[in-house]
Amino acid sequence: MYSFEVERPTSVADAAAALGKDEAQALGGGQTLIPTLKQRLASPSVLVSLAGIADIKGVSVDGGTVTIGGGTTHGVVAAEAGAYPALAALAGNIGDPAVRNRGTIGGSLANNDPSACYPSAALASGATIVTNSREIAADDYFQGLFETALEEGEIVISVKFPIPEAASYQKFEQPASRFALVGVYVAKFADGVRVAVTGASEGGVYRWSEAEAALSGNFSADALDGLTVSGDDMISDLHGSGDYRAHLVKVMTKRAVAAAS
Amino acid sequence: MDKFGKSQPVKRVEDIRLLVGQGRYVDDIAPVDALHAYVFRSPVAHARITELDVRDAVDVPGVHAVITASDLDKAGLDTGMAFSSAPMRDGSKAPRPKRPILAEDRVRFVGEAVAVIIAEDLNAAKDASELIVFDYDELPVHMALQTGGPALHAEVPDNCAFDYGLGDEVATAKAFETAAHVVKLDVSDNRVIVNSLEPRGCFAEVVEGRLHLSFGGQGVWGMKGELARVLHLDPADIRVTNPDVGGGFGMKGMAYPEYFVTAFAARQLGRPIRWMSDRTEAMLSDNAGRDLTSCAEMAFDENHRILGYRLHTLSNLGAYNSQFAQMIQSHLFSRVLTGVYDIPAAYMRCEGIYTNTTQVDAYRGAGRPEAIYLIERVMDRAAREFGIDPQALRRINFIRPDQFPYPTIPGETYDVGDFDRVLTRAETEADLAGFDGRRAVSKAHGKLRGIGLCYYIESILGAPDEDVKVDFTDDGGAIIYVGTQSNGQGHETVFAQFLADQTGIPVDRIEVVQGDSDQIERGGGTGGSRSVTVQTNVTLLAVANMVSGFAGFLAEQAGVDAADVSFDDESFRITGSNVTPTMLEVAQMAREAGRSDLLTWKATAKLPGRSFPNGAHFCEVEIDPATGATHVEKYTVVDDFGNLINPMLAEGQVHGGVAQGLGQALSERVVFDDEGQLLTATFMDYAMPRADTMPMIRFETEAVPSTTNPMGMKGCGEAGTVGAMAAVANAVQDALWAHGVKQADMPFTPQRVWEMLKDAGHKP
Ligand SMILES: Cc1cc2nc3c(=O)[nH]c(=O)nc-3n(C[C@H](O)[C@H](O)[C@H](O)COP(=O)(O)OP(=O)(O)OC[C@H]3O[C@@H](n4cnc5c(N)ncnc54)[C@H](O)[C@@H]3O)c2cc1C
Repeated sequence: MYSFEVERPTSVADAAAALGKDEAQALGGGQTLIPTLKQRLASPSVLVSLAGIADIKGVSVDGGTVTIGGGTTHGVVAAEAGAYPALAALAGNIGDPAVRNRGTIGGSLANNDPSACYPSAALASGATIVTNSREIAADDYFQGLFETALEEGEIVISVKFPIPEAASYQKFEQPASRFALVGVYVAKFADGVRVAVTGASEGGVYRWSEAEAALSGNFSADALDGLTVSGDDMISDLHGSGDYRAHLVKVMTKRAVAAAS
Repeated sequence: MDKFGKSQPVKRVEDIRLLVGQGRYVDDIAPVDALHAYVFRSPVAHARITELDVRDAVDVPGVHAVITASDLDKAGLDTGMAFSSAPMRDGSKAPRPKRPILAEDRVRFVGEAVAVIIAEDLNAAKDASELIVFDYDELPVHMALQTGGPALHAEVPDNCAFDYGLGDEVATAKAFETAAHVVKLDVSDNRVIVNSLEPRGCFAEVVEGRLHLSFGGQGVWGMKGELARVLHLDPADIRVTNPDVGGGFGMKGMAYPEYFVTAFAARQLGRPIRWMSDRTEAMLSDNAGRDLTSCAEMAFDENHRILGYRLHTLSNLGAYNSQFAQMIQSHLFSRVLTGVYDIPAAYMRCEGIYTNTTQVDAYRGAGRPEAIYLIERVMDRAAREFGIDPQALRRINFIRPDQFPYPTIPGETYDVGDFDRVLTRAETEADLAGFDGRRAVSKAHGKLRGIGLCYYIESILGAPDEDVKVDFTDDGGAIIYVGTQSNGQGHETVFAQFLADQTGIPVDRIEVVQGDSDQIERGGGTGGSRSVTVQTNVTLLAVANMVSGFAGFLAEQAGVDAADVSFDDESFRITGSNVTPTMLEVAQMAREAGRSDLLTWKATAKLPGRSFPNGAHFCEVEIDPATGATHVEKYTVVDDFGNLINPMLAEGQVHGGVAQGLGQALSERVVFDDEGQLLTATFMDYAMPRADTMPMIRFETEAVPSTTNPMGMKGCGEAGTVGAMAAVANAVQDALWAHGVKQADMPFTPQRVWEMLKDAGHKP
């Protein structure tokens, strides 16, 4: 690690101000950032910890929407987002207890790791990412591997998830990291089905529109039978080739539909 | 086996200490004022060094020194690391390319130590390391496990380190000529990273003019000898200690460059120095395990009796010869070459290959798991090709009980065994009869189920001799000094328990001392599943001496004949007297009588012969054909470990051993890219087995006591690993065979299993 200063603001405004400084960076649960710092792969001069901001923590339900504070840990989401069971289940299967007790949804969405779980939930649910300056629809938010619509210093305050009629996240774990080798999130709404895939594509999390079309007409695993997924633009690494990932996209989508129906 | 220990499942006395964070591992006990050592390692796999300039690094505040090969050279050190050479099959001597402590003109693998920075703290050392000017011309790398390719060492142009042979090549060839069936199989045995929970580390200090090196190791005496050689010191001026050690598995049995440089720096700077590896560093620099491929052939007659067995192995050594590397897939492998079978003719050939990778050396079982993995894969394949039951084929070929002592082709003598009895017990414990039903249930869930057997045999290795010393202390207790070394196995418990059983001294009055070359003159350390057998063997001798010494003393005191004094494991009895003193009481009497000669007992003993633990592992796997995910559903072990001192600790050894075998079979896998960069350099990519990987293990023993040591013991430390790999692989093969997969090789990662099915045309 290189040395850095730490600031611990207690309000979003103070955090935003602190993040305005040169080479400042937000620190959520540190589950991604701290290992990066330890390996000396990043050298922020100021870390602005969001952990002390009560306003961005917690889960609330309002009608058909679950709102999760950007600083809410995976463990809290797993325990308290019961109004949206598929989301709570996803959170409860991220990493291990130590990771879930520190890692936050804001950190996960800001980081947008191509193998992370939350991005698929946000995209499939048609969630809205609320920052200190604006609201961003999930469809506009995810912009590729580790890329999002967030501006420098912008803070994820909360995430609003419309609660679907039925949903399921099926994660096929990468054997070592247990992130998603391929994860598929299926959400069925009154006006159609959304399917988001994580772990697979070189472009990061994406919506599988053919599957959405097929499932919107017939919400059953069989509806996917005729579809094929190409391995061409899929991630290929030591844990899985592009073809293997493409194959798993369909398998996991079917399983998600079966689990949600 | 009452006489030689009460075979109690005593709980480990060291556990509380280790579990509540009060273990004293090397990084916990380094002197507070120690400087930190940090190793600058090669970022490339093969290059000629054109410039190594550390001047800017030395100038970083807090940095005391930056040590390179030229500093070691200038100080006159013997800078070549020690290693043993495997005998060549043509009787010639293979070249012995130097393994420098720090890279000299070339680097040969990613992670090779190039320079060591000594600084007030680790951050300063890391800052300095970024300022080292290291320029090089890259050289083509040799990554393939085959001879030829770009040469790593000028004196070995074809990268073949050795070419070892054992057995009768001509007789074996004849057996193949007359065979009714020949089964041939290419089998690879994937490289694994050992990943001890505690990585390697050490500290060195100079105390009253003597060098003290403390390191996480498997014994202190080998390291002491090496330090004396490399640093040109009188061994009397060196103390080496091993504190608590968090797992060694063979990997920590060897000397490593960091220990020498740390010791050198401590002497040079007159300050204590500490070094601790981080995880990625461990993955890059710890000796790896396995990494071989073999072509094996078995010849059978028309009744499926084995006529001959031959194999040709290529063993990856990595870039340099680690201390015992050449011996692993050659000599040690050969100890159990023919497994549990009565094989009239066999021949093995093994070539060692240099590649631009980290060194490979001993890993739990060291050669024996590899040999058993191979022969048990071949037996399984043969049974499938013949269309007969795999257990039946083994029974046809087992060495029969009436054939013991059985001389084997590699020159071992198996003392006893009853393989059929052990297998029969295992079939029952594993509920073989219910397998078809379980397979049908799996099928109903869309899963493929398979069952696999490995019947392994293991040869207890390591030095057969050991010393012991027992001191009766002034505070009324006893200290036992042992020459073995716990790496977490529970030696403190077992050695105290054994001495207590033999002498009646309460276990809580016995202290076990290990791992200190000043307190213990010599010893064999831990390795080869030797510890309990060799240490209790010599303890028995010391106890016998102690009993007769004390009996003589009591006789003298009581004015009776020595023959009138007896000892019953608890107390002494004297004919015609109703005093029945305990061992500790007699020691006290001796102390009061000024007989200090009776308060220290030393003994040295050599095992009369090796013992051969053996047993059957049955593994059942379930495979999801849609994803390739493989899960072990049921696991049964029936071992013949002979007599056990502490069955609970033996079972623990089997659990751990099975976990390591399962890990290698299912997920552990080292991957380098084409340039020799390690891709599996963190736990994000290197998949260790975890709790949910592990099945519940059914463990039973079927003892056929060894006849080559007085306790009838056989050793259990490595057996779990030896049995597990082939059991898993044969189970996976069983699940896949009917679906067209005729060759299933470890590691069974989901993608690999899915591909096997796909390539065989399986449609889920
Ligand atoms: C062992 C392990 C296993 C894991 N397994 C999984 C898994 O299975 N699935 C999965 O999805 N993830 C997994 N993770 C990642 C985990 O979910 C992290 O918590 C998450 O990726 C980052 O969240 P964090 O709060 O820790 O963010 P940090 O590490 O603190 O920060 C990550 C990035 O986000 C920024 N940031 C943090 N909070 C905010 C915010 N509110 N607004 C804007 N920017 C912010 C930081 O500046 C930084 O760039 C795992 C991590 C570990 C260590």
